[in-house]
Amino acid sequence: MAFASGYFKTTYKSDLAIVETFSLWICLIILTLGLIFFPFFASAFLMDLANQVFLALIGAIALMLLTGYAGQFSLGHAGLIAAGAFTTAILFKELNAPIWVTLPTSGLTGAILGITFGLPSLRLKGLYLALSTLALHFIVIYIGAEYETQRGFATGVVIDSPSIGPFLIEDPRLWYFSLLIIDILVVIFSINLVRSRTGRAWMAIRDRDVAAEALGIKVASYKLSAFVLTSALTSIAGCLFAYYRGFVSVEAFSLHMTIEYLAMIIIGGLGSILGAIFGTIFVVLLPYIIDALVDILHVPTRLTTYMFAIKYSAFGLIMIIFLVFEPSGLVGIWHRIRDYFILWPFKHKPLGER
Amino acid sequence: MMKKSLFGIVALASFMALFLTPAFAGDAYLVGFSVAVTGRGSGIYAPVKDAFDIYFKQVNARGGINGHPVKLIIKDNAAEPSKAAAHAKKFVTQDKVILFMNAALSSTYAPMVQVAKRYNVPLFFAGAVCPDAVYPPKADPNLYCSTAFGAKYDSRFAIPFIKNQAKGPLKLGLAAMNIPVSRGEIDFAEELAKGMGIEVAGKVAIPPPTPDYTPFATKLKSAGANWVYAWAPWGCEVKTFEALRKLGWKGKYLAYAHIQAEDDLARLKDDDFYVFGTNAFFADDTEMHKKIRAISVKEKTIYPYTQLTEGWIAAMVLEEILKKTPWPPTPEKVRTAMNQIKVDLEGLKGGPLVWTKGNHFRTVNYYRVYKWDSKKNGIVIVKDWSPLKVE
Amino acid sequence: MQIVVNVIVLAALYCLICCGYVLIYRASRVLNLAHGELMTIGGYFLFTVAIGLGNDPVQSFLLAFIFSLALGFIVYFFLMRFMAGESALASVLVTVALGILLRGLITLIWTSQYRHPLQHLGMENSSHQIVEGAVISTFGIAMVISTVLLYLVLFLCFKFTRWGLRMRAVGENPILASQRGISLHMYYALSWGIAAFSVGLAGMIQACDSGLDPDMFVIGLKAFPVVLVGGLDSLGGVIPAAFIVALAEILTIHYISPQASEVAPFVVLISMLLIRPWGLFGTKEELERV
Repeated sequence: MAFASGYFKTTYKSDLAIVETFSLWICLIILTLGLIFFPFFASAFLMDLANQVFLALIGAIALMLLTGYAGQFSLGHAGLIAAGAFTTAILFKELNAPIWVTLPTSGLTGAILGITFGLPSLRLKGLYLALSTLALHFIVIYIGAEYETQRGFATGVVIDSPSIGPFLIEDPRLWYFSLLIIDILVVIFSINLVRSRTGRAWMAIRDRDVAAEALGIKVASYKLSAFVLTSALTSIAGCLFAYYRGFVSVEAFSLHMTIEYLAMIIIGGLGSILGAIFGTIFVVLLPYIIDALVDILHVPTRLTTYMFAIKYSAFGLIMIIFLVFEPSGLVGIWHRIRDYFILWPFKHKPLGER
Repeated sequence: MMKKSLFGIVALASFMALFLTPAFAGDAYLVGFSVAVTGRGSGIYAPVKDAFDIYFKQVNARGGINGHPVKLIIKDNAAEPSKAAAHAKKFVTQDKVILFMNAALSSTYAPMVQVAKRYNVPLFFAGAVCPDAVYPPKADPNLYCSTAFGAKYDSRFAIPFIKNQAKGPLKLGLAAMNIPVSRGEIDFAEELAKGMGIEVAGKVAIPPPTPDYTPFATKLKSAGANWVYAWAPWGCEVKTFEALRKLGWKGKYLAYAHIQAEDDLARLKDDDFYVFGTNAFFADDTEMHKKIRAISVKEKTIYPYTQLTEGWIAAMVLEEILKKTPWPPTPEKVRTAMNQIKVDLEGLKGGPLVWTKGNHFRTVNYYRVYKWDSKKNGIVIVKDWSPLKVE
Repeated sequence: MQIVVNVIVLAALYCLICCGYVLIYRASRVLNLAHGELMTIGGYFLFTVAIGLGNDPVQSFLLAFIFSLALGFIVYFFLMRFMAGESALASVLVTVALGILLRGLITLIWTSQYRHPLQHLGMENSSHQIVEGAVISTFGIAMVISTVLLYLVLFLCFKFTRWGLRMRAVGENPILASQRGISLHMYYALSWGIAAFSVGLAGMIQACDSGLDPDMFVIGLKAFPVVLVGGLDSLGGVIPAAFIVALAEILTIHYISPQASEVAPFVVLISMLLIRPWGLFGTKEELERV
């Protein structure tokens, strides 16, 4: 059996396995090897893109857990990243704290913010909730701006590269491997989390909260736990973001950032960790892909100003095209392509829900 | 189904395009330029790019510099730090530029500065606020700035100017935009004013997305200010002024002259609206101004010629740097050239722009104050070039 | 006294912007996040028309109105129509993407320069003393009057005309409404049209009052708390909510600190959400308590 073309699980053991078949193991190993050897071939520019993808992925998976699995909307994502980044910046500047202090503290800050802004979720749903989390964004940015101004860091707070033991993480390759490890951990953690009691409870709440309550799920505490986990994870991403960029400035955390994260999970496909991965790669790389395609065209210098505006619009246009024509997201396309090859020459629907 | 799969294949193909990089001719001076042509605040950065386009078209038409053409790799960062960072890395590692430039919001600085330091390639700021690291006495070896305005220096000229101009008791109002750079400068101005015994009658920091400036103006007016000093992005400065006038405020107003100042002085036609800056206005009509106007009209620039001065000055500086850089150019040679540059700006500023080893801002800043004069129906100089030593 | 006038003008602006949010939400349960861009484009329409016609305010405004209205219809028929039946979040994200597209187009067509339509209209924005110690600008008055007129007309239409009744029916129960022979698309499009028109009007007045640049769209987002305080689906709720938010903002400027005015609306919003999550006049059924 190469790939499971349907639901063929006959034992509990096979039901519990993350990787279903032997061939899938081989594919995963090849992918991992590819990821490990990538830095030895890639230019620094591509390395930077890869690191950007890795950084964004943590935030995207966190948001996927909250929105895709627990069904709670949030527009405060950039605010949470900013919270993590500013916690790091303040601790670094005021106490000269090393990364093993700032990273957990950022997570803690996120968790506390998560509780505070998860509370409205007990009373609010949908768009109302999303907009109440918008308040979080503005408040965090306000505090950050006050800190920057009061302490005189007019063009942003500069942070030194972190060091773990004797290793100074400064080289892009070192960053690449550190982030790769963190990302793999986050992915495995979240895949397992959504298969566990918590994840199933979240999905039940997402699908119908009243029914979930009737089934004995503590809706309030599970909703809060989703907010806390997401916020903590996002703030940790913010902390890493601050270290990777080497600086923190309020202007970097605009609402546009929140929207990019939302775009990642929706374009990727809601309710799928794989979708979050696809979406992150797509949204982070899209502007550069458009860039590269346009560079091949060789536009006359004077027209480049127009070209830049067109590129800017193209990002919006491609997002629209995806949302209108592919509502199930990139992961939907992936499934169709995969099923097409697995089931060839038949055109059956795959057996069982996977 | 095949159609939908095609969709994926197209996506894959465009992904591959990332890995293809166009090859550049090896005989040109390669300069990278990451600028915010779109996105937030692009109104002041995009004209810089416009000026660079026409300037280096001329230079290359003349046969380039030292017999080699100048190749500008211009990228739009839409004022986003992540894009600026990616551009900087690409410039330095892939395109192998000898120097790269930035004109965007200050949030894009740090990632580019990081690249400049790590790869030891000079970074030149043009048209955006200068980072502290270019100031003397210990300027960062890789950071340079030709932007007209400079925090911590502008107010040192402005506050004494107001004090000299004011007849009778002076009550000073201060207006900033609620962004760290602007607020920091206004706080600094407040300290200066207090140190000079000026009564500060109100200070407002206006949040950037403000639909209505009237409430802020009301606050300044009710505090009894008869002079107001503003150091902020132009839109904030001029809208605060207009709101004050709409309230019937009769005082005088001094604002930093950003690139849109000249057009707006002519639009507002207000005798008590003073602007100060370090770039000459087109009202001076020097030979250089005539030249810029002629080229701008001929090349059909996207932005009006009155807004091109800032970019033009940066381009002149860049040309001078490259002239002093012997072939084959390296970042090291560029740095050597930049550390002892002296550019004659032919009337665009009060004097030459000079960089030294410890000073990458300029040794002397020349300020000039303009305003509209309704009797003459034109822009007049209130105070001619006054040097302020930068130490 | 000036403070009262400031509150009224700011509240009028918020009312004008939020009208569109509510209309679209009521009709199709979509939150239009491209509202700020529609506002900015309204201003640019006026600018273009003013240049084309030159010194003819009445015709310029009328033509710009028509353009704004048409833009709303176009957005619905060429984009939002396809999103009917999709999840609310996806629809909202489509409007976000639309916003990015429009912003790019604005930079493409009009560049990022500051523009001043007033110059080309041949009008003056003079100030008028209404009571002792309170001044208001011409376009401040225009803002208040157009808000009053717009709301009056909308209320009367909703109450007394046939299409107003149908529009309410579509908002309340689309399936039932369509089975009774009401053309859903037509009324959805109408709500988009009116929304684009009203917010475009706000953009035009704003452009005349204080100039125009692509960053204007942020104002659309700033008006958000107002809609929530008033209740997302309540047109009548917008008016008191706009006053509360404007009052909070202006009192903060005067008595606390000017820069804190940025967060004042959100403080109002959070306290509102804690007391009455469905807003002042919103429908309670919209929210199920858990």
